[in-house]
Amino acid sequence: MIEGRKILGSIGLVILAVFAIVAVLAPHIAPYDPHQMYGRMEHPSSRHLLGTDNIGNDILSELIYGTRVSLFIAFVVSTISMLVGTSLGLIAGYFDKLGFLIMRVVDVFLTIPRLPLIIVIASFIRPSVWNLIAIFLIFGWLMTARIIRSEVLTLRRRYYVDATKMIGGSDLYILWRHILPNVVPLVVVQFIMETIHVILAESGLSFLGLGDPTAMSWGMVLHDAFVCPVIYGSDIWMWWMLPPGLCIVFTVLGLTFVGYALEETLNPKLKSSVIGMEL
Amino acid sequence: MHQINKLAYYLVILFIILSINFSLPRVMPGDPLSYLTDPGADIPPARMTEEKMERLLAYYGLDKPLSEQYINYMVGIIRGDLGWSIYYSAPVLEVISGRLKWTLLLVGTSTAIHVTLGILIGATSAWARGRKKDMGLLISILSISSFPSFFLGILLTILFVIKLDIFPLCGAQTAFATYSSPFEEIFDILHHLILPVATLVISHIGGTYLLMRNSMLGVLGEDYIMTARAKGLSERYILHRHALANALLPIVTMTAMTVGFMVTGTIFVETVFAYPGIGNLLYNAVLYRDYPLLQGLFLFISITIVGANFIADMIYIRLDPRVKHE
Repeated sequence: MIEGRKILGSIGLVILAVFAIVAVLAPHIAPYDPHQMYGRMEHPSSRHLLGTDNIGNDILSELIYGTRVSLFIAFVVSTISMLVGTSLGLIAGYFDKLGFLIMRVVDVFLTIPRLPLIIVIASFIRPSVWNLIAIFLIFGWLMTARIIRSEVLTLRRRYYVDATKMIGGSDLYILWRHILPNVVPLVVVQFIMETIHVILAESGLSFLGLGDPTAMSWGMVLHDAFVCPVIYGSDIWMWWMLPPGLCIVFTVLGLTFVGYALEETLNPKLKSSVIGMEL
Repeated sequence: MHQINKLAYYLVILFIILSINFSLPRVMPGDPLSYLTDPGADIPPARMTEEKMERLLAYYGLDKPLSEQYINYMVGIIRGDLGWSIYYSAPVLEVISGRLKWTLLLVGTSTAIHVTLGILIGATSAWARGRKKDMGLLISILSISSFPSFFLGILLTILFVIKLDIFPLCGAQTAFATYSSPFEEIFDILHHLILPVATLVISHIGGTYLLMRNSMLGVLGEDYIMTARAKGLSERYILHRHALANALLPIVTMTAMTVGFMVTGTIFVETVFAYPGIGNLLYNAVLYRDYPLLQGLFLFISITIVGANFIADMIYIRLDPRVKHE
């Protein structure tokens, strides 16, 4: 059991590290500028390892830059969601009246189907990376806030909290010094789940043609390939559809493995819940 | 009392969804019509004739004060008036109901298979807790769940349609087919149904599997299981009579949520297989920026999902009396 967890976690970490390096070093790794046009629909060759797409862009370079776009959106959304969700969760769990209000808002937003609403909003606004980030943020913080709150509800009844109160510790001090450190494992796992969710949602949205056309993510590359009428006509799918799809799969897989390993390590009482997203 | 609270809560949700739907075109920069006539748009706008323009203007009623627009919108919804689809040149409700049967078939079949498989595999996994079988199942299902449904659909298409050529590429029926018997028609429909259903089931199985596994693990730790063992009952008997029934409780709620995920999932799966249901319709509405249709579909899908959750809550209260007192 323990070995399995460690192996899975390590595999996940290696996968994520590779993608992170590719994203950071994209301009140095990519053989071409992803917007530069060459011959259209070229088959893989030594010049274009994954061929070119319908407007003559080098697919490999598109994918390398796409790593940047996909990971950037997911990272920004999950980080902000984590900060906002954790803060609101702490407040909601510690202060009853405020908590009641915050939780009603969370309940309502969680009941409204997330993806259909995101699709509708995305079709109304001009697609850009920052607009996509803004849309995902509307829903990103909800689950974190709910989970952190329920944990805080039990933590605040512990004796050490009462003891700190008796010696005159302020609410803020208790939250910061005694409650926050205890919810960190939950926050970390939640951060990974949110990242998975955003990567899948963003690629889905882009696959439907709602991504930023100036900053191609993996989902956008897949979209372009999918709407190409001759995509199944020959072997084009091998270098145009499989690579972007596998990039998404491996990233999610890496995150899932790391999330699973972390969950088992940090909080063995918790049952694994890293998956179950709506895609 | 609990039921009434729940009902009130869901009515509030419904009201909020309706209000979001009303505000969306109105709070976005510009007015709804500017999107349709925008020459800078990268999507070909649906052909706009004078008549269509007028219908659209009348639907949004932008010349009237906001409060009046809101009341008219609500009254319209109650009457079933969801506006006029620009692309299909027909009432939105008519366009949606024309596609409904295919999505019902797809979601119904997938949900049934999904829940059955999820329960069976989840229970098997929990029963073999910590052993090779359990870990193997867990890792396989975690891995499968990493595939976005649209990519999974594409992979299945490549394998079973392009390479093996045993399933049709797209659609729900063979185009212009004439059937000599009803059996032939049913066979043709099933033939087209298999790949989309497989995609939906495989890409969503993770949630139910994990829930069942966790629920079962919880139940297996209960005292009454130990009592049953102490009485000397057979393992099979304990599994079927004591563990399974109690572990199934959370699956009831999960099933309703599954319906929600499935309905959302159809957006991608029906797009990949060009299956003529609601999800494919939504993709077309996005592609052609057919806003009234898009909004109608959003309302329809949201209300379906929220409705399913409401039903699940009601059933759950009946099945598990402990919920009332929480």
